[in-house]
Amino acid sequence: MQSMEFPLVLFTVLSQAAIGLTLMRAVRTTSGGEEAAGRTEWLLIAGLMVAGLLGSLFHLGHPLSAPMALTHLGTAWLSREVLFAGLFMGVAALAVVAGNVAGKPALAWLGTALGLGVILSAGMTYAPPALPALNNALPAAFFLTSAVLLGAGFGSWFADEGLRPLMVRIFTGAVVVGLVLYLVAPCVWLSGGEVMRMTGQAWLASGFYWAHLGVLAVALAVAWKTRDIPAWLPVLVLIGELVGRAGFFADTVHTAANMGGLY
Amino acid sequence: AGFDQNEFQVFRNACPRNCYDTCSIKTYVKDGVIQFIEGAPESTYTDGGLCVKGYSYTRRPYSPDRIKYPMVQDGRRTGKWRRVSWDEAMDRIAGKIMELKERDGSLLGLGMTKYSGNFGITNYGVEGLMSSLGYTTRFVGTPCWPAGIDAQNYDLGNMWCNDPEDMVKARYVIIWGANPAWCSVHSMKYIMEAKRRGAKILVIDPVFTQTAAKGDVFWQPKTASDGALALGMARHILDKGLVDRAFVENNAQGFEEFAAYLRENVTVEWAAEQSGIPAEEIREVAEEFAQADPATIWIGYGMQRHTNGGASVRSIDALVAMTGNVGKEGGGARYGHLQTWGFNYNAFIQKQPEGSVGFTGPAAKGEFDLTEGRQASYSDRTVNINKTAQAILDTKDPAIRMLWVSCKNPFAQDFDRPKLEKAFDTLEMVVSVEQFFTETVANSDIVLPVTTLFEEWTVNASYWHYWLSINEQAIKPLHEAKSNLEIGAALSRKMNELAPGSCTLPTEIDTREWTAKEFNQGIYDLFGINDWTDLKNGPVKAKLASSAAWHDMKFGTPSGKYEFRSDLCAEHGHKALPEFKKGRESYDKFRLLTPHTKFGIHSQFVNLDWMKEYNKEPFVYMHPKAAAGKGINDLDMVRVFNKVGEQKARVKLTDNVTEDCLLIYEAWFGKGTTFNVQNLVDDESADMGAYKAGAPGVAIHDQFADIERA
Amino acid sequence: MKKQYAFLVDSERCIGCFTCAMACRNYYHQEEGVVWRQVYPLSEEIYPHRERAFLSLACNHCEDPACLNVCPVNAYTKREEDGVVVHHQEKCIGCGNCIRSCPYGAPKYNPVEKRAEKCSFCHERLDAGLKPACVQSCPTKALQLVDLAEMQQTNQVQYPAGYPKMEKLNPSTRFILPKTPKMVRR
Ligand SMILES: Nc1nc2c(c(=O)[nH]1)N[C@H]1C(S)=C(S)[C@@H](COP(=O)(O)OP(=O)(O)OC[C@H]3O[C@@H](n4cnc5c(=O)[nH]c(N)nc54)[C@H](O)[C@@H]3O)O[C@H]1N2
Ligand SMILES: Nc1nc2c(c(=O)[nH]1)N[C@H]1C(S)=C(S)[C@@H](COP(=O)(O)OP(=O)(O)OC[C@H]3O[C@@H](n4cnc5c(=O)[nH]c(N)nc54)[C@H](O)[C@@H]3O)O[C@H]1N2
Ligand code: SF4
Ligand code: SF4
Ligand code: SF4
Ligand code: SF4
Ligand code: SF4
Ligand SMILES: [Mo]
Repeated sequence: MQSMEFPLVLFTVLSQAAIGLTLMRAVRTTSGGEEAAGRTEWLLIAGLMVAGLLGSLFHLGHPLSAPMALTHLGTAWLSREVLFAGLFMGVAALAVVAGNVAGKPALAWLGTALGLGVILSAGMTYAPPALPALNNALPAAFFLTSAVLLGAGFGSWFADEGLRPLMVRIFTGAVVVGLVLYLVAPCVWLSGGEVMRMTGQAWLASGFYWAHLGVLAVALAVAWKTRDIPAWLPVLVLIGELVGRAGFFADTVHTAANMGGLY
Repeated sequence: AGFDQNEFQVFRNACPRNCYDTCSIKTYVKDGVIQFIEGAPESTYTDGGLCVKGYSYTRRPYSPDRIKYPMVQDGRRTGKWRRVSWDEAMDRIAGKIMELKERDGSLLGLGMTKYSGNFGITNYGVEGLMSSLGYTTRFVGTPCWPAGIDAQNYDLGNMWCNDPEDMVKARYVIIWGANPAWCSVHSMKYIMEAKRRGAKILVIDPVFTQTAAKGDVFWQPKTASDGALALGMARHILDKGLVDRAFVENNAQGFEEFAAYLRENVTVEWAAEQSGIPAEEIREVAEEFAQADPATIWIGYGMQRHTNGGASVRSIDALVAMTGNVGKEGGGARYGHLQTWGFNYNAFIQKQPEGSVGFTGPAAKGEFDLTEGRQASYSDRTVNINKTAQAILDTKDPAIRMLWVSCKNPFAQDFDRPKLEKAFDTLEMVVSVEQFFTETVANSDIVLPVTTLFEEWTVNASYWHYWLSINEQAIKPLHEAKSNLEIGAALSRKMNELAPGSCTLPTEIDTREWTAKEFNQGIYDLFGINDWTDLKNGPVKAKLASSAAWHDMKFGTPSGKYEFRSDLCAEHGHKALPEFKKGRESYDKFRLLTPHTKFGIHSQFVNLDWMKEYNKEPFVYMHPKAAAGKGINDLDMVRVFNKVGEQKARVKLTDNVTEDCLLIYEAWFGKGTTFNVQNLVDDESADMGAYKAGAPGVAIHDQFADIERA
Repeated sequence: MKKQYAFLVDSERCIGCFTCAMACRNYYHQEEGVVWRQVYPLSEEIYPHRERAFLSLACNHCEDPACLNVCPVNAYTKREEDGVVVHHQEKCIGCGNCIRSCPYGAPKYNPVEKRAEKCSFCHERLDAGLKPACVQSCPTKALQLVDLAEMQQTNQVQYPAGYPKMEKLNPSTRFILPKTPKMVRR
């Protein structure tokens, strides 16, 4: 087991929640209404983002030099991630500060586009060849699912009555996608190369993994039963995503762990 | 910026451990602190590189675990150590010595045990210190290689091996019970070169060692059956008419008797049955070995640590001799040598104070005692170093009351550890001169901090190769450490303060001066140097007439020939011929082997934090089939136990060992661990060793034990 | 081909003695837990005897280095003149990205400096015409310094069993496979 990289867990999950909220907001504003609540929702988005970014600094050995991380846009997805995250943060800040633009769908769509940039670059950053199980589209898929799930979940707090069912539908869909992804991935790994197989075993033996799946299962059951998203549910789901992400970092086996062994 | 040698002060050092390789070291110092070290490039043997232990020297003087000051322990094994001044420490020690002298009328109550912690020549000052106090009790002998030394002395008249660098010329190499891939890493390049030039490499060992993995053929015979194997090969060579007639007729004595013994008592089938090596194999190898020219055998120290070890070595010597490989470049029965050790032993030879009373019975001398005939009438009392515990318990009139331990770690390296603890508990005072808080230190009352190789001057020779190295003081002693010699001087100062004339050792000693005093013209001529300070330019190699030992066929035996029949051997209570001797009867379920680890020299190095980076814990090695029978899985914690005691460790399953064998490498893992193989090794003697080393060797590998999940 | 310095790891000669690993530590005094060169035993599926054949590995000075590509602050450079991948620790902000990304586990986190570090091929010694500390130390010459542009291609392999096959990175290290002796057991 590697480190669970708590700062990275915070950053990725919170930023994905923020991006998901922005995406859901864009969807809802485009489907009509929603102008009024804009500012509070943007405040939450910006807050999550600030919390995530601050958290992320803790994983740097030298946080004060963080701005230097923008200097290798040429090949480093991490530089790109930082850039997108910064721009996204800027949009959120603008929305909070300038009340008159907060409600504009265009702003939400701009934020969404930048947010997807964050998710894509994070997906690339955490998909290195050194982690064979994740050296594919899975990280991006996991991250996008988290974004949609959390976005729809927390978005339900802000959705007008009329758009609530849309949030519930998207939320339920994301839970199902998440469950399928997380159930299938380790099983597929088990029949892959040695380090993939080790990763599959590590995930299936991990408390993080099962706790996360448990939360998703509860979310599905509740959403199914109530045909709604109770106000507490997004908070539970957030905790579930945090736990799942901790497992993502802690239980994924690095190729270097098996040097001298079969690959 | 590129590396710039001018930023450093460069010193010459030498590894003083009990190791074949005795490497020449270059030490790079900046601001009085060692930055890094490397092997001296001048020595073709060291060839610019050390070993994993050698490179950890950069850490050793600065280890946080080092003993820094003289300390006194309030109650043995309590760990309640108090720092005291050198003066107070010396006061206590000198006081005790005076008390002993008064009580016993002699100093025989003071025992001294020293072995191979540091083989630097000036460190014989420890023995010198004892002599300068009076006649004392000495633990003599060696746990290391004595059976083989005696065997070679009977057969050849001395232990003298070819230059290891000439192994490249061999056409056939047998590594017999040695593991140079771990214990003499610098020799491996010669074996590999011989192999590259077409020689066949056969490794004979009960364990599939790292050395075996580098050979062409690996034989895994029953432990302690080597004599039978060698004799079986000899019989086949005889039958095939492959004996070197010229050698056995002109340069040997007793070959026909040996041949008769072989014909009457030995068959290849018998050897196969004794050893477990198929007869076909024995025949094939015997023929190849006899026909290869030259062919050589490296006789390991590991294989002679048996109740029949000396006899086995004699059989192997015979195999080499009858094929005409003795005295030949690229050939030889290689065991060791002391050809380059002709120093003055100025530090060693000290006069007893006027009127000292000593021992009048027979006394023995150690294998490194090259001072033949230079000592006076009265003598020290000698006891067997290989039975340290028993000797302490048994010695009376006077009993051993006080023990001086230096360059030696009895609790890690001597035998029957439970008994040793009991024995130490009878001692009134134990003084340890040490670098680390070993188990022996834990069983001492006073510990004195000793320097590392970088902090003193000395000179180092090898018992294997023919290079000579100076060891300069590269840094000032850290903390309050003093060299063995300086400690002697400090004690002498105190003794003379309390009772003038009670110690003859000078009260001020400069280790550089004393190093200089060790040299003589013989050394200069042998190495082709004008002055010892020439060694500051790098190590030098002896100017050898031939790389072959015994190249002039003038043997050191009574007959001046190679002695297949040694009457001297018979006089010492053994067989005159290299006959087969059965090994020790088993006393438990599994054979237990406790040989040497690659990460340490005995109790040294494994404890260093740098070393633990690569070697974190000890293991027991066991065959998977044997483990299955006991419900033991890989990496389980197990308990190995026998009549001596028990030891726990995790187990690694491997067919590198046979089903009836357990293997644990000796090591001391440092503070906070109790791992110690001596909990499982008794003090049974080997057959030989008393003749040249002063006491028989130890049957370290004739041990047996059982195992279960812990 | 351009000059590319590389390690030649001859497992036929290697005795797994860890001398190379300690020689590196002796030279750079890495913090506890930080290992630039490690000696890995081959598993029994690859070499049939436990802990008897090894791969001595440090950074592979790849043609297309993952470490360099993923570093957000450009702390890595690949030297034009000899292909050595140098880590410039003073630039590093300790994000850990190279550590996660190098499939060979070459970069390590220094908990005291709070920055990454790795083998930079003793480039300061190379520049002075000396061998790397580890190469010089190896008692069997199992570890050698070679220039891929000039090396005679004979029995070396790039991806032996026990070593991750990362063709995109194109690691420069080359290997000679270990042999087994004839076994005569009772
Ligand atoms: N079970 C088992 N036991 C064995 C063996 C085995 O194979 N198996 N091997 C045997 C063999 S071959 C040998 S040679 C012996 C070795 O036995 P020892 O000679 O006792 O071995 P070391 O552990 O090398 O050194 C002893 C101590 O000397 C200290 N020392 C180092 N330098 C100095 C110095 O300059 N001055 C002083 N005063 N002390 C110093 C070290 O810190 C160490 O604690 O062990 C024997 N014991
Ligand atoms: N790394 C390292 N190097 C060392 C030392 C060390 O402790 N560590 N110690 C130094 C010292 S003091 C010494 S004495 C030498 C020792 O050097 P070696 O003699 O090479 O080493 P050992 O491990 O004592 O024993 C060698 C082999 O003898 C085998 N053996 C045991 N019994 C038998 C037998 O009945 N028949 C046969 N054929 N083989 C048998 C063991 O399995 C082992 O593999 O090494 C020196 N160099
Ligand atoms: S322990 Fe032996 S091989 Fe290692 S440096 Fe010392 S003499 Fe050389
Ligand atoms: S120093 Fe040489 S022989 Fe020893 S482990 Fe390293 S590469 Fe192998
Ligand atoms: S081995 Fe790893 S650290 Fe070294 S160059 Fe290749 S990717 Fe970079
Ligand atoms: S840890 Fe340092 S060198 Fe590695 S990627 Fe991050 S900033 Fe670059
Ligand atoms: S080349 Fe230098 S830095 Fe790299 S492993 Fe070897 S000694 Fe260490
Ligand atoms: Mo020894």
